Amino acid sequence: MESLFLQQVLNGLIVGSVYSLIAIGLTMIFGVMRISNFAHGDFSMLGAYFAIYFVVLLSGWAGWVGSLVVAAVGVGLIGFFVERFLFRPLLTRWTDIDIIMLSIGLFILLENGARLFFGAAPKMIPDPFQSKTVNLLLFSTSEIRLICLLFSCIAIFLLQLFLTKTKTGVAIRATSQNRNAAALMGINISYIYSLTFVVGSALAGLGGVLYGTIFAVFPMMGAMPTLKAFAVTILGGMGNIRGAIFGGFILGVAETLGGNYVSMQYKNAIGFVIIILVLLIIPQGLFGGVEKK
Amino acid sequence: MKASIQFKWCLLVALCFTVLFYGTRIKAAEQPPIPVGILGPFTGSLAFNAEEMKKGMMLAVDEINAKGGLWGRKIELIFGDTEAKPDKGVAAVKKLITRDKVLVVGGGYASSVNIATSEVCQNEKTPIVVAIAISPTITSRGFDYVFRTSPNSPQFLAGVNDWLERMKKPKTVAFLMENTDYGRDGEKIWSALSKKIGAQELAHLYFEIGDTDFTTQISKLKELKPEVTFNIASTTEAALIQKQAKELNFVTQWIGVGGQFTEAYFKMAGTTCQYAMGSSLEPTLAMKNPVVAEFVKRYEVKYQKARPGIFSSQGYDNIMVIMDAIKRAGKPTGDLQVDRDRIRDTLRKTSIELTQGKIEFDKTGQVYTVVPSPVQVQLVDGKPQLFIIYPPGRAGAPYQAPLPWDKR
Repeated sequence: MESLFLQQVLNGLIVGSVYSLIAIGLTMIFGVMRISNFAHGDFSMLGAYFAIYFVVLLSGWAGWVGSLVVAAVGVGLIGFFVERFLFRPLLTRWTDIDIIMLSIGLFILLENGARLFFGAAPKMIPDPFQSKTVNLLLFSTSEIRLICLLFSCIAIFLLQLFLTKTKTGVAIRATSQNRNAAALMGINISYIYSLTFVVGSALAGLGGVLYGTIFAVFPMMGAMPTLKAFAVTILGGMGNIRGAIFGGFILGVAETLGGNYVSMQYKNAIGFVIIILVLLIIPQGLFGGVEKK
Repeated sequence: MKASIQFKWCLLVALCFTVLFYGTRIKAAEQPPIPVGILGPFTGSLAFNAEEMKKGMMLAVDEINAKGGLWGRKIELIFGDTEAKPDKGVAAVKKLITRDKVLVVGGGYASSVNIATSEVCQNEKTPIVVAIAISPTITSRGFDYVFRTSPNSPQFLAGVNDWLERMKKPKTVAFLMENTDYGRDGEKIWSALSKKIGAQELAHLYFEIGDTDFTTQISKLKELKPEVTFNIASTTEAALIQKQAKELNFVTQWIGVGGQFTEAYFKMAGTTCQYAMGSSLEPTLAMKNPVVAEFVKRYEVKYQKARPGIFSSQGYDNIMVIMDAIKRAGKPTGDLQVDRDRIRDTLRKTSIELTQGKIEFDKTGQVYTVVPSPVQVQLVDGKPQLFIIYPPGRAGAPYQAPLPWDKR
């Protein structure tokens, strides 16, 4: 019984690490630019397809690690153009609702475009370990899952380092806290917007590769991560990066434990029950929203 | 200046007349096609399977149109996307019936959708021939406009059940299935069988279409150690379950319905699907049959390098049955209701030899002549292949019991 509990916690942490990675991008973009990007999960989907095509060129270990880089750079680049030519012109002129509609439109466009270009057949990013199992005393999992967990943690750690230790990172956080004051301090706001969107998208791309390696790649794959990322973001506090990190792990573990001990049928509903409860009881989220203006 | 504008106007009017004149002439020369509506989840997570069905259907239509169609009129398939959601399916079928004025509706995939769409067809007095969906409900409501070319779930699983009862005799079983009519109908049948053979039912676990993480469910199953696990899932979910079972080091005899064994399934699951079982009508398993061999050959010519799977052959047969009924109903009169009723009447008398076997409908509109066999995935030179394993007369290979992962 204990081993089942530990096994489920581990399963939850692995899935949760991918949720975190995707949610951080979402929450950063929201925090800095006040954009609720419903197409965020589809950037993950694009990242996964970048990987699918890259591993054809280079197989094995190098291919897999390379595909992470390619996905991050590729999706980051797409993020740059999307921000520059779609969101930025609207940010000053249009209302929040328009921007949400734009992101929903983008989500539909990307999904259907992907079906057209890549085909509807589900694919998998080849696992360099060939699903080799790791059997520990109390639980088992595969090597690639552990690597994915490790990779997400490293990416999250590096991002934290960037945001707290570098000048640019501090500028991003400052903009998130108070746009006008940051501008008065001489921070180039449009540069920060662009950078945030690129970094956020790149993280989504990375998350997509991890997701596509342990799960599957198909044009509709972005929808679930988007919803989960919103659940995580609301749980941790909109715009709060630390909230997104812990929120992702909490959601992952809550889902697996809830599925195991409460009801398997409502496993996916747990995230949404959390959203409702958090909004009712602690609307600012577990870790508070964007820090005080 | 004024004159030149007038001249331009004259030119424009003349142009319009020319277009109108030639337009109508071209239209008169070519007969309008015979419209047939096809439902299917062409977008969404089942889109890949719907594409397979469509490929089989297009092969059938091309075959007929290449011979000049029927009464000099081409057959036109009009596709309606159900997204595997009942509400979208109802909207799509209503459009096909009222706006596109189709004579008959074919296709369909996913039981929950077809239960809803077939009721619409019954109310609108339009015959529907369901291609892929196995819930018994579809043909058991006394609807006289509803037909189905796919076996229903009791028929589909009869072979596997026979094998379980006489050969495998499991003591413990568990269920892992889609939370839809497809999953729950299979669950009902296998639950009844388990009671009959005295097997203990350890767990009933569900998941949603489009789920990708099954580690919670599999971890729980691993704790319970069922001898046989019934896994009622489609391609993507089934392949992911096989892969994640390996990652979590869980061994059981997986038994699915059979719809999951598509090309994409084998590509995704790789060797992890070894020993998985199901009940199937895979055309490539019955290549000795000349009708099937001919179908496979033509399919491989039309879609380079692609092997037809169960859905392509079900799609092909579905269209062939519909075409056969339209043909026997005689030249359309132009009165939509008369034509639809005539087609319904001829559908009842269908008797045609196709890739899934002979197709004849019983009183409820259910095909009763198509018999699926229990199949198992076995490795040949490290490559997964499907074999019929029972009954001995039809078997292509003997049953192999699943080995622990480290011994495979």
